[in-house]
Amino acid sequence: MLALNLLIRNWRSGELKLLSISIVLAVAVLSAISIFTDRLGSTLMRQSNALLGADIVVESSKSISQEWIDQADAAGLQQARTIEFASMVFAGEEMHLAAIKAVERHYPLRGQLDISQVSFAVNPVDIKRAEYAPARGEIWLDSRLLAQLKVQLGEKLSIGELELIVTQVLIREPESRNPFSSISPRILMNIDDVPATQVIKAGSRVDYSWLLASDKGDDLENFLAWLKPQLTKHEKLQDINSSQDRLSKTLESGKNFLLFAAVIAVLLAGVAIAIAARQFSDRHTNQVALMKSLGVSASKIRRLYFTQLFVLGVIASVFGLLIGYGIQTFVALNLEKNYHFVLNSAHLSPYLFSFVSGLICITFFALPALWFLPAIPPLKILRKELAISGLQVWIQAALAFVAVIFLVALFSQNLRLTASVSAALIIIVIISFAFSWLLLAISKKLSQGLGGFGRLAFANLQRRKSQSLVQIMVFSVAIMLLLTLTILRTSLIDDWRAQIPVNSPNHFLINISPSDVNDVSAVLAAEKITSAPLYPMIRGRLMQINGKVPDDEMAKNANALQREVNLTESETLADDNKIIKGEWWDKWTKSSLPGVSVEEAVAKSLNLALGDKLLFSLGGLELEAEVASIRTLNWKSMRPNFFFIFEPQSLKEFSPTFMTSIFLAPDQKIFINQLLHKYPTITVMELDRIIEQIRSIVNQVSDGVGLVLLLTLAAGAMVLFAAVMSSIDSRKQEAGLLRALGSPQKLILGSVLVEFVVLGILAGLIAIFGAEALLFSMQKFVFNNPIKAHLIYWFIAPVGSAIFIGALGVICCRPVVSTPPMVVLRDAT
Amino acid sequence: MSSAFVLDVRAITKKVVTQEGELEILQPMSLTVTSGESVAITGASGSGKSTLLGILAGLDVPSTGDVYLSGHCLTAMDEEGRARVRAENVGFIFQSFQLLPGLTALENVMLPLELRGNKQARNSAINFLQHVGLEKRLNHYPQQLSGGEQQRVAIARAFASQPNILFADEPTGNLDSATGAKIIDLLFELNRTQGTTLILITHEQRLASLCHKHIELSAGAIVSQ
Repeated sequence: MLALNLLIRNWRSGELKLLSISIVLAVAVLSAISIFTDRLGSTLMRQSNALLGADIVVESSKSISQEWIDQADAAGLQQARTIEFASMVFAGEEMHLAAIKAVERHYPLRGQLDISQVSFAVNPVDIKRAEYAPARGEIWLDSRLLAQLKVQLGEKLSIGELELIVTQVLIREPESRNPFSSISPRILMNIDDVPATQVIKAGSRVDYSWLLASDKGDDLENFLAWLKPQLTKHEKLQDINSSQDRLSKTLESGKNFLLFAAVIAVLLAGVAIAIAARQFSDRHTNQVALMKSLGVSASKIRRLYFTQLFVLGVIASVFGLLIGYGIQTFVALNLEKNYHFVLNSAHLSPYLFSFVSGLICITFFALPALWFLPAIPPLKILRKELAISGLQVWIQAALAFVAVIFLVALFSQNLRLTASVSAALIIIVIISFAFSWLLLAISKKLSQGLGGFGRLAFANLQRRKSQSLVQIMVFSVAIMLLLTLTILRTSLIDDWRAQIPVNSPNHFLINISPSDVNDVSAVLAAEKITSAPLYPMIRGRLMQINGKVPDDEMAKNANALQREVNLTESETLADDNKIIKGEWWDKWTKSSLPGVSVEEAVAKSLNLALGDKLLFSLGGLELEAEVASIRTLNWKSMRPNFFFIFEPQSLKEFSPTFMTSIFLAPDQKIFINQLLHKYPTITVMELDRIIEQIRSIVNQVSDGVGLVLLLTLAAGAMVLFAAVMSSIDSRKQEAGLLRALGSPQKLILGSVLVEFVVLGILAGLIAIFGAEALLFSMQKFVFNNPIKAHLIYWFIAPVGSAIFIGALGVICCRPVVSTPPMVVLRDAT
Repeated sequence: MSSAFVLDVRAITKKVVTQEGELEILQPMSLTVTSGESVAITGASGSGKSTLLGILAGLDVPSTGDVYLSGHCLTAMDEEGRARVRAENVGFIFQSFQLLPGLTALENVMLPLELRGNKQARNSAINFLQHVGLEKRLNHYPQQLSGGEQQRVAIARAFASQPNILFADEPTGNLDSATGAKIIDLLFELNRTQGTTLILITHEQRLASLCHKHIELSAGAIVSQ
């Protein structure tokens, strides 16, 4: 009770202001960032899962066992089954091979089916979201199949023994698998109609998929932990990471960035609270001494303070949490307004972690300072002969460091990140200490020629050397963290955007017959459509290497041996392909066999060397070729890429068809319809939906990252403010004295400005040095990005921090010079 | 153990280690004080007055020798033990008042009472503040009070816990002579009415002459007693 009374009195007298503001702000920024990050993370995951149609998919060559389905039901998971197979479909005289997907009514679990009453619909007015998948007896068709089969909506077509009515045009479906795996047009039908078609017989090639999703992350993870050991070689788990490499990398680095931002917010908040706690304990040394002289035992004094700080911590953390919740709600609402992007609700953990972090900061930063006070003889405290031993200072510093690392680990749950940050912190503290000591020594020499407030400022810096050192250290750490985050954000976003360049090809045209090649080229040119060259393409399987059938071990590891691959021939080497071994055709010494150029990873998995002989089977015919070169290529280019490129004219006799990739803007989509009407045998693969979705996710991650950066900058400003405020106490008396002696405002504020500008420049220089070191370790160990220096920041950091810290110093000291000296002096004593 | 004296000091010394070597602040000295007695300690600056007072009050420990306060051997105790003895027996008045700036006059006086768990802390504190003539200043913060008023709050705080023995380190040192005189009167009045033993350091001969006993220090030694 007494502790609470003391707390109320301390609060009323303003002694707790800085500490409570620091805790409230720290918890607010921390909770805003971690709640927002959590919501953004799970929303992005769900968005990207929309490409998969589920959170996770079990693919199988057999039907999924009833026991698993029952178990998933019991675990409260959402589930849907699909069956995929290829079959001919008939409509009157017309027939075509289609990739049929039979689904349950509630398919998909994530994402949506877009349907229309218009073929090739691009206008949003024509497209609507299907509430359910096709009912029994209904069938939905890909636009181009309608053209190829010459059917209209409402007409019937047959699959095997069953007749079904075409009710909708299927515009989009969750589809993230390799688009080359099914190049036939899609048909969607109800799963319960499949038996009646009688097309699935023993030995038919059928893919069964079992889609699973859960709104509670743990349920799915627990279920998967149970399921995984039971999977056989027939079943394969697919999640967004395995099916969308590009997107998963963006999400991963985005997640890491947000994590890192949260960690930096933790550090900044910790530093701010540490500074405020230090000031609090400094101001309370007299109270402790007085209590001791009144005979209060050390343990009782500790109890009184600990209770006060604990209660203060809880109240301030609750306020901080409320404010943080408000900030992130505001940010989320803005996102929703501007991007129609609705965030999922957050898990409990970010709330809990943010709340606890305020208390941890108080416990480790404020309490150790107060812990030692009651053990010192009161007379020493009263006479200000504070004899805190070196050991105690080290214990306090070590506890603070442990607390910081603990918090970093708590928020990031990432060992590498924690290790990188800890190492960088230790390095920056040592370097900043050594540098600031050195720079202060140099500044002393430089200041000797100065007059007026310049001299006063440098004299002050020297006189308060230890305080100046600590201030430079705090400024440097804060600026270093902010710089790292800013630079990282820029380079990450550049990197993400570079993954999918604007106007990169978004449609593939396949199955162009040799006789149509010239016409199609002419049409593309006439419509001014950007396209890659037309490549001849034929599917073939690699059978033998140097006359031997590859062993099972190699067949298991080499993708190129497991399936038919697309083969081509080309006279020219694409711009983004690079020969790393051997020669391209123009320099290659012709051998008796046709030459083949092999992609690097494939060559490695097959242990290929130049001159090795490869035997391919192309639709029953054999082709033997010699490895002429090994080359790298850019899988991100979205252009036709091939594992094997043959010497020109080698494939001629195997009657290949041709393919190319083109870029179509949304308003050019109708071109597909025209093209297919004219050349019905051409197959069009539309990747625009996936590209658009990836791009939209990248934009959302970038925006989220930008907002988080702003919040972290706010935390940084708070630290700088706390650090400046912490030195105001000692400046008050001095400024009051100078004023009493008749010094003009200009002299005092001028010297304060010079002092803080110098601190700012030194801190900025040390910070950019530390930031480069931290970036080096982050890029190398966490983000796996190329490392480069950021020269412009070597200018921005010192200048920016000099301006900001200088201005902050003057603003904070201004009240001291505009108040009558008598009042200032009385307050100071 | 001695019980005849409220304070019994036996052959204490105080040495500190400085950069120039060991410095003897107090030379061996002994003294006794009986209950209700008033003792003045005088001497030039640096003669060791404040060090002696700190040791007598148990705020610091001597290098050698023993101090008995109300029968408790302070030198045989640890800091916690001394704190208990102080809590039961000792009150202080400091030259620089040592009021807590964040607490009002009333709260400053209430603090020692509250620390002892006194349920009537508020009423007792008001009572003592009335006694020192500050009933109209109860809710003022130290910085809103004059020096004399601040010292009166400190006196009220010292007497509020009704100590057996009150130590005062130059209680009038920071005050003008008229205010100082009023403070001295107040101290002695309370000394009489409460029967408190009074040990004070002073520069003022008038104050020293009012005391039962006068100890003069020079260079860390008692020159007259």
